[in-house]
Amino acid sequence: MPRITTPARPAALLAGAIAMAAPGAAQDFDTQPSIREMESRLEDQHVLFGVEIESDVTDDLLELGRLVAMGGAEAGGSGMACVSCHGAEGRGDGSGAFPRIAGQPGWYLYKQLTDYASGARPNRVMSGIAQRLTETEMEAVSAYYAAIDAPFRPVLGTVDAQTLQWGGQLGAAGSAELGIPACVNCHGPQGTGNPPSVPYLAGQYANYMTHQLQLWKDGTRDNDAMNVMSAIASKMTEEDMRAVSEYYARVRPPEREDLSGTARTTAAEGAAGGD
Amino acid sequence: MADRTLPRTDVVIVGGGWTGLTAAYELANAGQRCVVLERGGPRHDATHFAGPEEHDELKYALRYGHMMDVKRETLTFRHDRRQQALPMRRLGSFLPGSGLGGAGIHWNGQLWRPLPSDLRMRSHYTERYGADFIPDDIAIQDWGVTYDELQPHLDFFERICGTAGRAGNLDGEAHPGGNPFEGPRTSDYPNPPMQQPISNTLFGEAAERLGLNPFPMPSANVTRAYENPYGAQLHPCTYCGFCERFGCGYLAKADPIICVYDRIRDHENFEIRFGAQVLKVETSQDGRTATGVTYQGEDGLDYFQPADTVCLCAYALWNVHLMLVSGLGRPYDPQTRTGTVGRNYSYQTIAAVDAFFDDEIVTNPFMGAGALGVVVDDYNGDNFDHSDLGFLGGGYIACKQYHGRPISYQPVPEGTPPWGAQWKRAVRETYGHHGDLVVHGSSVSTPENYLDLDPTWTDAYGRPLLRMTFNFPENDRRMSDYVMNRAVEIAQEMEHVTSVASTNLAAVDSNYSIVPYQTTHNVGGAAIGTDPSTSVVNRYGQMWDHHNVFVFGACLFPQNLGYNPTGPLMGLAYWTLEHLKGDYLDNPRPLMDA
Amino acid sequence: MPHRYSRRSVLTMAGGGLAATVAPVRHAFAQVDDRPWFFLTDDEARWLAAITDVFIPEDAFPSASQAGVVDYIDFQMATDYGRGDGLYLQGPFPEGTPEQGYQLPLTPAELIRAGIAGARGEVDLARMDGAQREAWVTDLSERDDGIGDVPAGTFFSELLSLANEGYFADPIYLGNKGYAGWDMVGFPGAHAYYLDLVDEHNRPYRRQPMGVAHDPSGRSTLPRPVGRGG
Repeated sequence: MPRITTPARPAALLAGAIAMAAPGAAQDFDTQPSIREMESRLEDQHVLFGVEIESDVTDDLLELGRLVAMGGAEAGGSGMACVSCHGAEGRGDGSGAFPRIAGQPGWYLYKQLTDYASGARPNRVMSGIAQRLTETEMEAVSAYYAAIDAPFRPVLGTVDAQTLQWGGQLGAAGSAELGIPACVNCHGPQGTGNPPSVPYLAGQYANYMTHQLQLWKDGTRDNDAMNVMSAIASKMTEEDMRAVSEYYARVRPPEREDLSGTARTTAAEGAAGGD
Repeated sequence: MADRTLPRTDVVIVGGGWTGLTAAYELANAGQRCVVLERGGPRHDATHFAGPEEHDELKYALRYGHMMDVKRETLTFRHDRRQQALPMRRLGSFLPGSGLGGAGIHWNGQLWRPLPSDLRMRSHYTERYGADFIPDDIAIQDWGVTYDELQPHLDFFERICGTAGRAGNLDGEAHPGGNPFEGPRTSDYPNPPMQQPISNTLFGEAAERLGLNPFPMPSANVTRAYENPYGAQLHPCTYCGFCERFGCGYLAKADPIICVYDRIRDHENFEIRFGAQVLKVETSQDGRTATGVTYQGEDGLDYFQPADTVCLCAYALWNVHLMLVSGLGRPYDPQTRTGTVGRNYSYQTIAAVDAFFDDEIVTNPFMGAGALGVVVDDYNGDNFDHSDLGFLGGGYIACKQYHGRPISYQPVPEGTPPWGAQWKRAVRETYGHHGDLVVHGSSVSTPENYLDLDPTWTDAYGRPLLRMTFNFPENDRRMSDYVMNRAVEIAQEMEHVTSVASTNLAAVDSNYSIVPYQTTHNVGGAAIGTDPSTSVVNRYGQMWDHHNVFVFGACLFPQNLGYNPTGPLMGLAYWTLEHLKGDYLDNPRPLMDA
Repeated sequence: MPHRYSRRSVLTMAGGGLAATVAPVRHAFAQVDDRPWFFLTDDEARWLAAITDVFIPEDAFPSASQAGVVDYIDFQMATDYGRGDGLYLQGPFPEGTPEQGYQLPLTPAELIRAGIAGARGEVDLARMDGAQREAWVTDLSERDDGIGDVPAGTFFSELLSLANEGYFADPIYLGNKGYAGWDMVGFPGAHAYYLDLVDEHNRPYRRQPMGVAHDPSGRSTLPRPVGRGG
């Protein structure tokens, strides 16, 4: 199974967490987020990047990331820009064909790119794209999308309450009969992810998630640590997969709020006075 | 008299933990109708141990959420016969379980085999060091079963648990990277070893430089997706650091529920009743056999469950207690040194060494697992020359990273005050820069360490409490001191270590205390052996005095090894079941002559 | 504006000598600040704030009372643990050796109440300055006689344990307010998945701590931190 390797360059490996907007910051969602806005969120570093693995993310990195996203990769002359499928804000195009990647942990995005490039995660479209990215570009575009906080698209289609409830139950408590561990064990509170390794499920497209579960189950995808996901997916029926996907597609992280006054911030202030 | 008598069953099994569920699995599949009586309630890993609710240090590690309720049943404790034994009013030194899976739910997952010499400790020491080597006040005995006889069963249990490790001795050939002292095994571990954090890695490197033989701790925290021989699916451990004292919501720690119960619960020969507290084993008029058990159900009524065969599969202490309150066998009297039930009680001798690192080493202690460690066995058993040391026995030395749970994990350098500004600073400065070494030492039995019934206090059912009379024997204090000093040497050799501190819980000038946690390795009281005057069960686990009563668990150990007991006791359990199924059931009788 | 039952006001009145009152006391249960204590009296709460702040004073990180330790103790005394869960309370109760453990016929709530009453009968902790308090607490830790009706040693151990728990337990128990304790040591909390990271040696892992009831927005449903300005 693929091991997660650390890139030799120390500067740019980052692990992003769920991106959070500063309150009241105006978001013009018709244009791409400005670097300045993203930087201001970066100031709130411990909030934005839930996990620090390496050193700071610089605005150079984000600029490069945006460039790559726009199709400006060195070797990306074919016009395969990330934004054409994943959107300028990483929200996908609403169809579910392309996953939402905004705010996924940067380290996770980076790993998926390297796995696409090496074939560890087979995908006809993404492999070719990833192979044409340099390592720096992979880091940059991962950082860029990790730092974006974008609203969620409305969920298309309806699903009956029973399916939703079963999905929620599997997600929160698993199933003793089927030997399925609860999703939240690894995917975090309300499926909001567990950086750096575990992506969020909340607000992801349902059909994308169902498809991934199927790929885990039949072994086509096995680029996770120790094949946990295929072990879990192999115990799920199609109905289980659909239930859990439809459920998480509809979960939204709660409203953002002013985070001043948390102990962490006050501690940081206090620390300024020396210890 | 019981309020109600139930229809007869082939086998009644007291206790729904590792041994009880395994006995039920094997016997049900052999055509025996089995009824398991579990005093606690049902639960399942996926639903009951799902993080994050499960990852609550206060509830489970400090308030003992998964463990037995002392209000219902506890024991009394004293050091020696001159003292009055007083109730253990709170759990502390050991943490027995309750509920489906018993203590097998909240165990660490350390899975060992005994050394061949461990099973014949008296003979071995006599052969090697002479007839006068063992003092009169040490009551160690041979088990009567050999390592070769147990080997296939030890191997099978390792595969039931998906044990992760590296063999050291494959069919007599040295296998690099494993424990060179282990008894020969016929196959390697079923799963590769765990990934080690920096603390354990530095320990291993130092041990090697000193000419010792480090190896990864054998672990039932599974390291990859795995299917066991019963068809159970286990998942890889996530190193979440909520292992021991907790159930595993990831289905990654082998436990009796996922490994055994899930695979037998729908079998037509299997029935389990929860909330069923067994009060007494009933015997026939002539006393030669058991007729079944009386238990109190959830409704508060007493039921008599008749059975052809009785399996005692409760936790070690409560098996012995049940024998005593039922009048099974002959209770041990330390005054006259006659009788056997309650004799040869022993425990585990623990010492700790702290290695404090400089700031370059960042241990991330919260990335842990119950069996995550690097071990040297060079000072265990008789793996080293005891000629001039003045003690027998030994223990393994491990550097381990179980958890970084902040209420309990607060290593501080020696001399740090116990509270205040300095303490507070030391706690945060040491938290990620500390290596945790343990000496896990053997425990010899003595004529004065034993179990019987208390004259004063009772449990919630009106039965006298078990009374434990125990203190660390001088032998074990000397052993612990010696091996701890070897551990200190390794710690001092480790790179990036700025200081070392040590604590011997069996120090020469101290007494065994029932207050701080040490291990849940209470053993003995129903010793296995070939001589009915010094053992309660014969070498097949069958009671000498009642041939249809089979006893399981660590209560059978005549003394304790320097290893966690689950592996050896389950090897014994499979050995007993092999003979129960293959020999006893067709012709019920004593399998050994008294 | 402090209400009669305001916890904040009670703890603020814990008064002079406490370094904590340089800034307004930011304590754990502000959202139900108007609710009286579950178990403690105001005087007991003040006394506990004073003594636990000697155990865990304010430095770069909050003091015990600032981190909600008093609220934690209050909640524990009022619930299972304080009422004697996990404690075998059948008599008789002869005295034993230290190695035989706790032998009092008291639940933790009774022990704490009796101990505080005894202590308050001896000195007025609120009137002492910081150094005097520390000296008195040190003395208490070494006494082998009774304090009020309870053994000083048992009472002291219980207080120290409760303070430690209150600083580091999951915030659902009303202490470790805003993850003060977890931030201090760098403990990431109840959401734990480290399979990929165990052998990434010497790489600091710093993540927003997340407790059992962690709300991903960062807002805690309980306890709710008071705003920076107090």
